Amino acid sequence: MSALGDGLGDGPADALGHGRGDGPADGLGDGAQAAGGSPLARGRILALAAPRLAALALGVASVAWAALPLSAAGWAALALTVAAASVAAGSLRLALLEVPVPQEAYFMGLPERTWYQFLSAIRTLAWEEIGCAALLWLEVLHPARAWHTAILGAALVAWLLAVHIAESGAAAAALLRRQARVLVLGAGLLALGAAAALLPGASSGGGAVALQVLAVIAVTAAVILVLPG
Amino acid sequence: MTQAPPVGAITREVPVRWRLSRHSRRLLTLAIAGLLLAVLSRRPELVGVAAPALLLLGAGGRRAGESRPPRVTVRISPEGARLFEGEPAWLDLAAGDLSDGYDLRWDFHPGKGIEPASAVTVTAGPAGAARFAFTVPRWGKRQAGTAELMLHDRWRLTEGRAVVTLPSLDVFPRPGIQDTLVTLSRLPNRLGEHAARTPGEGAEFAGLREYVPGDRQRQINWPASTRRGRLMVSTHPAERSQDVVLLVDATSDVGKPGTSALDYGLRGASAAARAYLERRDRVGVITYQWGGARWLAPSLGRRQVYKIIDTMLRADAGWSRGPSFARLPRAALPPGALVVAFSPLLDQRFVESLRDLRERGFSLVVVDVLNVSPPGPRLPVLGLPLSSRPAGRLAAGALGAAGGIDEIARRLWQMEQQAIRFSLRELGVPVLHWDGAEPLDLPLAPYSRRPLVVRR
Repeated sequence: MSALGDGLGDGPADALGHGRGDGPADGLGDGAQAAGGSPLARGRILALAAPRLAALALGVASVAWAALPLSAAGWAALALTVAAASVAAGSLRLALLEVPVPQEAYFMGLPERTWYQFLSAIRTLAWEEIGCAALLWLEVLHPARAWHTAILGAALVAWLLAVHIAESGAAAAALLRRQARVLVLGAGLLALGAAAALLPGASSGGGAVALQVLAVIAVTAAVILVLPG
Repeated sequence: MTQAPPVGAITREVPVRWRLSRHSRRLLTLAIAGLLLAVLSRRPELVGVAAPALLLLGAGGRRAGESRPPRVTVRISPEGARLFEGEPAWLDLAAGDLSDGYDLRWDFHPGKGIEPASAVTVTAGPAGAARFAFTVPRWGKRQAGTAELMLHDRWRLTEGRAVVTLPSLDVFPRPGIQDTLVTLSRLPNRLGEHAARTPGEGAEFAGLREYVPGDRQRQINWPASTRRGRLMVSTHPAERSQDVVLLVDATSDVGKPGTSALDYGLRGASAAARAYLERRDRVGVITYQWGGARWLAPSLGRRQVYKIIDTMLRADAGWSRGPSFARLPRAALPPGALVVAFSPLLDQRFVESLRDLRERGFSLVVVDVLNVSPPGPRLPVLGLPLSSRPAGRLAAGALGAAGGIDEIARRLWQMEQQAIRFSLRELGVPVLHWDGAEPLDLPLAPYSRRPLVVRR
């Protein structure tokens, strides 16, 4: 574009050359260097891979923790299968986060088209939400074990945070520092919930009714607080 | 202190659509699942599972709701509204009027024909700024595309999305190389830089003659006067300019995009426009296309280059056929103008227009930009072009009936093309072939060394 100013005086070749020599090369950021094919530093690869590996590890740990003791029959097997598939698919989605999907697939061959449809399917479904629901359902199918459930809850929150950090690229330390107080408070409530479950009469009678009312109020409050105006 | 926007910057106010982030949707699912299962199974420890998610949602949602801007001001600073094809370009984006409580990310969605040359997703720097580099491989009027601004609050529980439409770009054809000019032997009586046949006050040396009273003393050629023993004066040619009309045939665009006949035609015409305007000639353009002709009357000056290219950019080898016409507009063709036509000579109407121009007495040079020919006949079974067969292995009869007809049609087409060019040459119109890669000076060389004789 700068070539236009000088174009007439310098002749066509000069005009084009002048245009090529200027700015854009200076203007590219880190992302541009990456797109240009320069090798990523090992630190950058680690920074990208670490949250994804953490998410995978936490997901697998949650599934394993909720599955114990293993039961291979009935609804438990189904819940376990759904949970494991969700964790696997979610991890795959995170691993393939940078693979672009072209807008037009009209001229593609069958293998390429299948691959991009697979990618789209992986990215469309909410695997983590399905996984959370399936893991809690699996936990409910087991006999009551308060501390076990509390640890599962902590693992699930950690898994969701790791997934979020991996997919958003947010700085993990800064994000966790900002939310530290709330997380600590949440961990306290988690422990209180487990402790309350150990109290006699918590699962039947008046205590159970009180807990149910409390749960309904909490759901309503959560919805009101979270939904944007 | 506010910083002044750069020249050419466009400021737009864009609405922001807010919604829950994926992270908060997941937390909400965990909380609701925990609470529901707690109620259904009467297990209070599941309420504890929901508690951290509810706390995060409540605290984060309250913070984000305090300052959620409904609109954002976006400043778009393109490097310029015009560029040449293949030339690197970039545009800067900046989001203003935002508090520090947001992480910003820009996504660039390039328009058709725009090739990104940098990352298309960029985390915004200070003041929400980002730069996207791109190239446009082919000339034309292009929409740069859209840019999407994603705003995340610090807890990343809500996200805002604003979409900005980027300005359109005029992409000029990359001009070819032309330094030498075709000059007419008879030039209009207007001051310029071409040496005319008539004597005048130009700078070039034309000859000697004897001194006659009234000649200026400074014109006396003293060495020649000494040798001949009488006063001799130098004569100089007059310096004149000429009218040049570039005629671009946009009716047929054959060949691969980027190296098609129309591409070469526009590049050649751009090169010619620049070359003639540098020598202070008056240059105009006529773009001949389906449905009529666009034209620009000859004029002088640097701005005329851009006007000419702008006129050519509107050339479109579209599919619609407009009203037929054989004569080109008179207003675009000053008497005595040199007409340089860039055409693949595939459209019979255009060829007829050239003949008409010649009959009207215009001096014409035709630059043939056809660089493709129909593919050879294909082998019936393999589908291979004839040119790829092993030499001497297959006889013509082995091609089968279809292949034979193809070959005959191809030869007929070639003969027809040769006949068109021959008929133009017979009328005194030089037809030069240009391959688009070499400088235009090479095919023009036989006609640029001496003035083109005007025959009426």
